Amino acid sequence: MGVLTELLKGLRATGSVLIETVTGKEMLTTRYPKEMREKPQRFHGRHVLNRYPDGMEKCIGCELCAGACPARCIYVRGKDNDPENPNSPGERFGFVYEINMLRCIFCGLCVEACPTEAITMTQLFEFSTTNRGDAIYTREELLMDTDGNVPHMFPDDPLADMKELLTADGWLKATAPAGNASYEGVQTWQGTPGPASWDPEPDQETRDS
Amino acid sequence: MPHPTNPPGFLTARIDKLASWARTRSMFPMTFGLACCAIEMMAMGTAHYDSARFGMEVFRASPRQADLMIVAGRVSQKMAPVLRQVYDQMPEPKWVVSMGACASTGGMFNNYALVQGVDQVVPVDIYVPGCPPGPTSLMHGILTLHDKIMSGEIAS
Amino acid sequence: MTARETEGVLVTIDGKEVRAPEGELLIKTAEDNGTYIPRFCWHPRLKEVGMCRMCLVDIETPGGSMMVTACTNPISDGMVVDTKNDRVKKAQEAILEYLLINHPLDCPVCDRGGECPLQDQTMSYGPGETRFVEEKRHFEKPIPISDLVLLDRERCILCARCTRFADEVPGDPLIEFKERGYGTQISIFPNQPFSSYFSGNTVQICPVGALTATPYRFRARPWDLKAVESTCPHCTAGDRISIEASQNQVLRFLGVDVDATNRGWLSDKCRFGFEYLNSEDRLTNPLARQEGGTYEEVSWGEATSIIAQRFGAIREAHGGDALAVLGGAHGTNEDAYALSVFARDVLGTKNIDCRMDDALGTRLLTGIDRRARISDVDTAGTIIVWGPDLKEEHPTLYLRVRHAVQELGANLIVIHPRATGLDDRADLKITYRPGSGSDLLTQLRGGDRDDVNALLEASPVVAFVGRTGYTEGPTMAEAVASWILELEDSRVLPLARRANVFGALDMGVAPDLEPGRIAATETGRDTRQILGGLASGDIRGLLLVGADPVRDVPDGSLATSGLSGAEFVVAIDMFHNDSTAHADVILPALGFSEKEGTVTNIEGRVQKVNRIAPGSGQSRSDWSIIADIATALGSDLGWTSEQEINDAMMARVPAYAEASWDALDWEERDGVVVPAPGADVPVYRPEMTTQPTVGAELVLHSARKLYDDGVMMRKGPSLHRLAPGGFAHLHPDDARRLGARTGSAVRLVTKRGEAELPVQVDPSLHRGVVYVPFNQPGVGPLGDDPVVRVTAVGEPD
Repeated sequence: MGVLTELLKGLRATGSVLIETVTGKEMLTTRYPKEMREKPQRFHGRHVLNRYPDGMEKCIGCELCAGACPARCIYVRGKDNDPENPNSPGERFGFVYEINMLRCIFCGLCVEACPTEAITMTQLFEFSTTNRGDAIYTREELLMDTDGNVPHMFPDDPLADMKELLTADGWLKATAPAGNASYEGVQTWQGTPGPASWDPEPDQETRDS
Repeated sequence: MPHPTNPPGFLTARIDKLASWARTRSMFPMTFGLACCAIEMMAMGTAHYDSARFGMEVFRASPRQADLMIVAGRVSQKMAPVLRQVYDQMPEPKWVVSMGACASTGGMFNNYALVQGVDQVVPVDIYVPGCPPGPTSLMHGILTLHDKIMSGEIAS
Repeated sequence: MTARETEGVLVTIDGKEVRAPEGELLIKTAEDNGTYIPRFCWHPRLKEVGMCRMCLVDIETPGGSMMVTACTNPISDGMVVDTKNDRVKKAQEAILEYLLINHPLDCPVCDRGGECPLQDQTMSYGPGETRFVEEKRHFEKPIPISDLVLLDRERCILCARCTRFADEVPGDPLIEFKERGYGTQISIFPNQPFSSYFSGNTVQICPVGALTATPYRFRARPWDLKAVESTCPHCTAGDRISIEASQNQVLRFLGVDVDATNRGWLSDKCRFGFEYLNSEDRLTNPLARQEGGTYEEVSWGEATSIIAQRFGAIREAHGGDALAVLGGAHGTNEDAYALSVFARDVLGTKNIDCRMDDALGTRLLTGIDRRARISDVDTAGTIIVWGPDLKEEHPTLYLRVRHAVQELGANLIVIHPRATGLDDRADLKITYRPGSGSDLLTQLRGGDRDDVNALLEASPVVAFVGRTGYTEGPTMAEAVASWILELEDSRVLPLARRANVFGALDMGVAPDLEPGRIAATETGRDTRQILGGLASGDIRGLLLVGADPVRDVPDGSLATSGLSGAEFVVAIDMFHNDSTAHADVILPALGFSEKEGTVTNIEGRVQKVNRIAPGSGQSRSDWSIIADIATALGSDLGWTSEQEINDAMMARVPAYAEASWDALDWEERDGVVVPAPGADVPVYRPEMTTQPTVGAELVLHSARKLYDDGVMMRKGPSLHRLAPGGFAHLHPDDARRLGARTGSAVRLVTKRGEAELPVQVDPSLHRGVVYVPFNQPGVGPLGDDPVVRVTAVGEPD
């Protein structure tokens, strides 16, 4: 008899979780892919190449990302901008931009190295492929369109989550966008990749007044 | 996909689907962790992610009972023959998921000690990017593998 | 001698006592002894100016310490220098802050970013932040100052390295500062681009990204380049270069400062003459000619068996001497050795030549004991140049001669039918008509020219001897060389074109030489005789190795008739060219920077060339192609690598015994000079011959320009545009007599060809000479006979 009591005692925790789960009161398991896991703000996922609000590409092909990359997974080549119809402000733009996602370790050093905030990371992290070639993301796949939409490598994939592509990791600004020196070092967040529509600095109004 | 030259009849087509379905619902992964990715692979088996939902909670300790090898971590040159032997010991049909940057391409360890991509040693079905890939990324890989099995033939 | 004379004066730099020769610049003494003083304007190969003030240091004087520029102050005994104290630091920070007032921070898009002295020194010595928030100076950027160089004036820090280089080193002062103060900027003169043959050097020495080169602009960043040291493939001087490549593509050449050869400078042809390597027109597969003249890709095995079968059949039916080999002067010594052994031992022919009928006799090139070294010009009393225009054909030697005359005070005599690049520094310039050189030589030899005699009193005499043009035969140069060698304390440097022609001759790629510079017992046919033999049917099979006789042999029509008369032609080449059009089988070869080996320069210096890129498609190196053909012909030469050939070569050619790969890679990076003939090889004495004077009213002078229509130039987009094109240069008197003037057209008829060319009136020509640059786009071959008839075409308007 004592054995049975002990067993029931021991199964109490199991039983309560069972009841909670069955009744739907509390679900421990994340039922991926039906529901997505909430990712933290600064999650490092797939990269995206941004544009300025006027549609110009931010990337200038400087290869600093490639230089900073510890896995050597980025290949960039610069080219002269056509002065009549430039791709990016200035003389140079990145006309080849490739990331081998299978070599990438998602460390984010490329984002830190980028002098123009052209490359940022999104929260998309579920993008398995069936061959190595598909994992090489080229400029076409990385560069957002002029409306700020980021292309998905497999848009038809039922598992494709477009929302994650529009959530940026927040490690973006180390200086004030307006060049106001008093905000230097104040780190702020940008929730979405794409055209930099900066929110005012926190407490900007009080500090400016 | 039906075989182009030898189209299956009504009955075998159904069996084809049924067998594929059965395979996807009861994959037994090999207990085979090589590095940090293995921690995420183990996390996939825990209650929070619960790989039992796909019928693959049992990580088999013997290759004879496993049909899925998740190469979780960097494969050193010395480990490559071992990995191949384990793969050879698994019964057909069998699949390989290359999990994470190191297994897929060598990742940031582009040096003499590591195999630059486990597909040099065994045929790989799914590549999961990430360093390491999270449990959901791995699950995405497994689901992509399910897709691949469902759209394939039961025998090659 | 005192310690001061033997070991130099005693200087204390940052508390460390060092000795150095008196009068040496402080900045150099400090650097040699491990103290780097930051600098922008000072360059070890240029004169000091003290413009940037970056090298300020503190020296102790009786009146207290004083700030001086280390680059303009020679050291003296007992000098005490402080390069690191607070005053110096403050000065350095101030200078950098000052330079950065206007220097734009566009480093991410600047080609220099990552290897920029301004960046580096700002990081090491700069203040960290600036106090200047004002708008920077703006200029239009970038502006092309020549076809190859772009100028970004915003980035310029006015160090004057480029202007000093252009003025001092090649003597092309085509860029200068203009305006004053805040508006000072580098500029070219109106309507006069910076079209110096050496303009690329300014890009290399610019301490910022103000000067960039169009062929390299935005191609790569320094951190994704890998580099390997090698030897320049374009001229015989053997310039040391650093080949830099990224993603298996060669992207630039940089000069390496080696005292023996180029001292860091390169001509633009050397510097930018790599683009053909990345050309899409490179051959990638073996090609065999089909019925109807089209080419089809075949496998290496098929190609080799076709060649073996056809060569074998010709050898069987007509003997080995019915086969011939042309070329081999563009490859490595290993390739040349393989070719020589293959021709002699496998094909069984003595008809092998690497000179395209445009060089001198092989024995003059390899066999004289008093062959000069390049460095001999630095100690020469008198330099004689009787040969090609050094500026056009041997640009590095041109710089060395210019330096010796300008800075070291040597006398210079230039003898050439027209103006040459060295004329402005020459103490004596003699022009003559090609075809009457013997008369001039007789005068000089007889001591009839007092001006020459006076200059020759300064010894030693170093003479550069070669063919001034292709209408003058090689025997003229032999006669000149024999005259020079009659003089006391004289040395001769015989000139020849093609990068490794001296190596190829040493390896026996010549009809009258065997490997090791040994005169062959039986002499085979040279290029001219081979081509003639092909045309007449004496020779049936031909192997071309990186040779384009149709373009390169002065008598192009002879080459065309020879090649079209040949029964079976095999070409090993990188591109389709005018000669491969006659080939039955074309095999793709690896080019420079795609193979490893040794090359020999004009003074016999053996240096290493190294591999950095993989080559296009299935192309292979010459030796391995040759070894395969040999195997298919039934003689296994037994080589499996260049290294093995090098070993075989060192064993067979005693002069090369010191030049092993290991030695060249590690101990002797500047190369090993092959010993002069003497013990093993008999010394050759060139013979004095006289030639009958050509009596024609007008004679042709045909010589090369630096940029021509050769296939390697044609396949490089940057250099191809620079070929000046065909012109007939006429003396003003002749032009007047013919009724021609600059811009009108004349018709030239020689024994071997004809051409219609626009006229350029050229007062520098000797009277009665018509100068036509050789192998320019749109100019057919005129042959090597000096007699020319010129008629004006149309009415001059």
